[in-house]
Amino acid sequence: MSAAAAAATTAGYLARRAAQKQRVRILYRRALKDTLNWAVHRHLFYQDASDLRERFEVNKNVESLDAIDRMIAEGEATYNKWRHPDPYIVPWAPGGSKFTRNPTPPEGIEIIYDYGREDND
Amino acid sequence: MAMRAAILRHIKVPVRSQALAGLRSREWNLSGGALVRFMSSHDEHLTKEEVMERVLSVVKSFPKVDPSTVTPDVHFQKDLGLDSLDNVEIVMALEEEFKLEIPDLEADKIDSTRLAIEYIYNHPMAG
Repeated sequence: MSAAAAAATTAGYLARRAAQKQRVRILYRRALKDTLNWAVHRHLFYQDASDLRERFEVNKNVESLDAIDRMIAEGEATYNKWRHPDPYIVPWAPGGSKFTRNPTPPEGIEIIYDYGREDND
Repeated sequence: MAMRAAILRHIKVPVRSQALAGLRSREWNLSGGALVRFMSSHDEHLTKEEVMERVLSVVKSFPKVDPSTVTPDVHFQKDLGLDSLDNVEIVMALEEEFKLEIPDLEADKIDSTRLAIEYIYNHPMAG
């Protein structure tokens, strides 16, 4: 193999590794959030989160790219299967209970609270 | 209905300022979102010092971190010896501390206290 081809292979390998690492991070992040959604109490979440972490740590030293891809795909499938139907969403975010609610009124409009002493009465 | 009528009777809309508001709303469209208007009554913004202090306290209370090594400019993985999953956990703790919802790809890029402070300070909804 020429040096250029070897470099290209290395670059391809690194790119694929980087993409896999990112997928794992994002999968872990989503799974961790979902663990919190499923936990009814905070103290239950800690144990669940630690179990989740264990499941990721077990495969920490896997080297084969294809095996890693397979595992990530499996993990994502499991995550999708167990996604919470009604996850916690921060109130202002899309889907949250306060999303687009309570907008500030346009400037120039004000409510005058004079409690029953209207000037046209 | 009675409530609505009562409220409407109390609202006064000066014609002049409404016309101005109309002009201004047209300006918004022209300026292409240069003027940001938050559709919420939430308007207390955090000071940089407060953001920094709270970010540092979250990072310091992370179990695998030695609190004495945490400064406003440390890289989670290079300086604190954490791994990428710990990084994810810290970012999630920060989201909870500041009641934020950070999109996954943006959260993935936060890898140091400096970036975290910067991101949270510039987030309109950090609370």
